[in-house]
Amino acid sequence: MSDSVPVNALVVFYSRYGTTEKLALAAGLGALQAEASIRLRRVADRADAGTIAADAAWKTNLDRMNRDYVAPRPADPLWADVIFLATPAESAAEIESYVASLPSLGSMSGKLAAPLAPGHADAALKPLYAAAALSGLIVAPSSPAPDDPIAAATAFGRRVTEMARALKRAS
Amino acid sequence: MLRVRRAEERGRSELGWLTSYHTFSFGSYSDPDHMGFRALRVLNDDRIAPGKGFGAHGHRDMEILSYVLEGRLAHKDSMGEEHVLGPNEVQAMSAGSGVIHSEFNGSDTEPTHFFQIWIVPDKRGLPPSYQQFAYDPAEKRGALRLIAGPERNTTPRSAFINQDARMYAAVLGTGETIEYAIPKGRHAWVQGAAGEIEVNGLTIREGDGVAVSDESLLALRGAGPGGGELLLFDLA
Repeated sequence: MSDSVPVNALVVFYSRYGTTEKLALAAGLGALQAEASIRLRRVADRADAGTIAADAAWKTNLDRMNRDYVAPRPADPLWADVIFLATPAESAAEIESYVASLPSLGSMSGKLAAPLAPGHADAALKPLYAAAALSGLIVAPSSPAPDDPIAAATAFGRRVTEMARALKRAS
Repeated sequence: MLRVRRAEERGRSELGWLTSYHTFSFGSYSDPDHMGFRALRVLNDDRIAPGKGFGAHGHRDMEILSYVLEGRLAHKDSMGEEHVLGPNEVQAMSAGSGVIHSEFNGSDTEPTHFFQIWIVPDKRGLPPSYQQFAYDPAEKRGALRLIAGPERNTTPRSAFINQDARMYAAVLGTGETIEYAIPKGRHAWVQGAAGEIEVNGLTIREGDGVAVSDESLLALRGAGPGGGELLLFDLA
């Protein structure tokens, strides 16, 4: 299992109805199982309040998630050794925006980015791979998991945390 | 030997929605002289404003007990457990290999006051688990009511924890006395939860704690105008 090298795992996600939130939590749980310290952060909606209010399920989930999570903080990516980026399959815009806001290339050097999306949606993941690489992060791709995406996300969380630990050990 | 930890000496976190007093080092409060006592690692005295709480966060390898003094505490975790806890109920979560959970004041109008207690488990990486049960408050009046310990399926019910440690609660009226024999080589921590209690003649009030070592007997007596409530930890 792990040695004494501590790993900090930041889990950043955007979710409207809870599906991506579950995936993000599963990855966070995997990171915990691999003995990382974790922070969970939800990226704010880009949609306006009127659009959200018109969708009762979205609004209900948003109220709950606003209570359960805080928004990403500037210190988070500096603290993290690995950043999980969980995005809905239909839109990566919110998480792409977050990645674009990360500190300069040098500050992110040697850190891992671990994008994941429900259904392993290529259309959502590819922009994140590109954005993360442009930010100086090392991209750890996830694998398709049609049978049990939650268990796969937990395993992904463990695996990437161990990768981050190995990177820290080697540096 | 008795060593007292007065309420006003504790660490304090003030976040607007949360006032937390830390008997031992916790979060940004760090004091190398107060890192815990035996397996008792955290004893936080928390007051949460209505509707507010701790968002989703992770734990591992810790036995986490919640003892509510006033109000309601809502809990939700990655094991799928979702419950509300009140006074005279016990919540015990064994974080083991990892749990993500949130805790909120379960009321939008009333504050919640509770102790959060962390006990270091005797093994790492255990499967996470959750227990909750209610008990009759009469069971802790004038008596030590076992809240948690290392035995499963006790009668009356108590929470199982993965450590050779026991937690009791008692409410003592003024002048009411109970005794607790401490087996040789074991230690105790007595925490004042409300009112006033004498521990072997030493008076403690709400928020005070006493570390007890090299003693064979604890005499616990309700003091002051209305007696008091205490938590007792029996520790290896």
